[in-house]
Amino acid sequence: MTTEPLARPALRPSFWRTFWVNALFAPRTSLSFMRIDFIVGQVFILSFTQMLFFAYVAELAKNPTTPVSYVVIGNAVATMTYATVFAICGTTDSEKNAGTMEHLLVSPANRIALYLGRGVVPLLIALATVTVSMVYAVDVFHAPFAISATFPVAVSLVLTVVAMVGFGLLLAGVALWLRSSNQIANIFLFIGFVLAGANFPLSYLPVPLQWAGELLPLTWGIASLRAALAGASGSTVLFLWGMTALEGGVAYAMALGLWQVFERQATRTGSIVRF
Amino acid sequence: MTVVRSVVGPRVFLASLRITVLQFLADPQWIIGSAAAPVVFALTAFEIYRFSSPTLVLFSILGGGMMSMWAQTLYGSGWATSQDRFLGTLEPTLGAPVGYVWVVAGRVVWNTISGLLGGALVFGVVALAYGRPLPVKDPALFAVLFVVVMLALSTVGLLFTALFVFSRYAGFVQNIGEFTFYVITGCMFPILILPFWTLPFSLAFPATWALEALRAATFPSYGGLSWGVAGDLVGTLALSLAYVVASWGLYRWVVRYLSDKGGGTADDY
Repeated sequence: MTTEPLARPALRPSFWRTFWVNALFAPRTSLSFMRIDFIVGQVFILSFTQMLFFAYVAELAKNPTTPVSYVVIGNAVATMTYATVFAICGTTDSEKNAGTMEHLLVSPANRIALYLGRGVVPLLIALATVTVSMVYAVDVFHAPFAISATFPVAVSLVLTVVAMVGFGLLLAGVALWLRSSNQIANIFLFIGFVLAGANFPLSYLPVPLQWAGELLPLTWGIASLRAALAGASGSTVLFLWGMTALEGGVAYAMALGLWQVFERQATRTGSIVRF
Repeated sequence: MTVVRSVVGPRVFLASLRITVLQFLADPQWIIGSAAAPVVFALTAFEIYRFSSPTLVLFSILGGGMMSMWAQTLYGSGWATSQDRFLGTLEPTLGAPVGYVWVVAGRVVWNTISGLLGGALVFGVVALAYGRPLPVKDPALFAVLFVVVMLALSTVGLLFTALFVFSRYAGFVQNIGEFTFYVITGCMFPILILPFWTLPFSLAFPATWALEALRAATFPSYGGLSWGVAGDLVGTLALSLAYVVASWGLYRWVVRYLSDKGGGTADDY
């Protein structure tokens, strides 16, 4: 008598199921530290007070290359890093704190779907933050804005947010084998203030730091937004969009390609369960 | 009972200070997080100010140092209370036969010291970037008044931490209120460039008075407020004392309130 082998159940959930489950559940699980009061505060208050602070600094400096309109635009874009870098990095810590990271890593869930899914809510929050910040920049701080620039400005903002989510995912991977994501998130959260040209031109910095700044998608995103607002030529804006997209693409590719390396490192060093 | 309390309180303070120091030494990486923002903000302001006037460079150093202290006192001490709440250790601590203020005081003292270290770090980084002697009238007086600013700021941290015991929104206030506090106290610019109606809010913080004293005493050609350095220092001292007394009373009241409520909001997070 021969026995037919039992059909193996489909263990691997589909890509889209994993993606949407993570997108919808992350706010209640790995992103639960982003409570509604925090999100509202980040979108409406933090962005404004940050811009106000640097606007006063610029007003006092009276530096012709960094007028108030220059710094408020830079900060309007830079405010997205709270959601794209800090929040996404924080998901790694949340998993470790909850003791679910080990289970997650042995699950057959598609990693790309899983991590991209987690980026959906931060992406939406970042878009909301940067949109509100732009309204503040134009209506409160009187940054020049022509109606004809609406489309290129919108493209610049969306592209930068998407690219920065990729950058956040890359850092979340690095945070996997660190004890805590807090340090790396803090460093990269604020590094944009200096290296990305949010508050002053990159040319102020020593050449090696300018190169480092050019590796950040935020730098190109801010430059593309400024170019769009200034009514720069189409080729200039297209080049800056291309650089933002390229750096964002590289960040996604590195995040997803290196995740297995980070997983192995984290398992080998035991940092997978350290927090 | 009073005698026991008077002995136990200082012992709890020392124990709290000791454990806070040990925790810091066991994991000193946390200073990176709290120093990252002040160093970055100071460097940013420095880059904006450096082509304007040498005196403005001092604003960036002073502001960065103040941010470091703010991060250490408010984040360090406030976060410790939030952590107590999260780990479920806040209720037993509040229920102990010694004032919670002694526990917090131990944390605040160490956070003040590490805040000063952070301030020194900011000073070093910006001074290095500037590459020239800083235009301070009296460096020794600058150093002394810098410490006064930090101590005045720590009294604000003490009061806010007391309020955080009472609220599950400590993290919200810390994150959202950060830049508001920097603007209101004029940590990187004179408060006189703010709208006039904001002045009472600015002067409600001892750190504002201390900053004004430091700037008026050591910054070349700094106008300052009309009552002069002596008035600034009197204001700093009076408000700092008021903050300490208020926070002491607030801690006692909060503990009594939470005890009456059987925990109340202590376990909400």
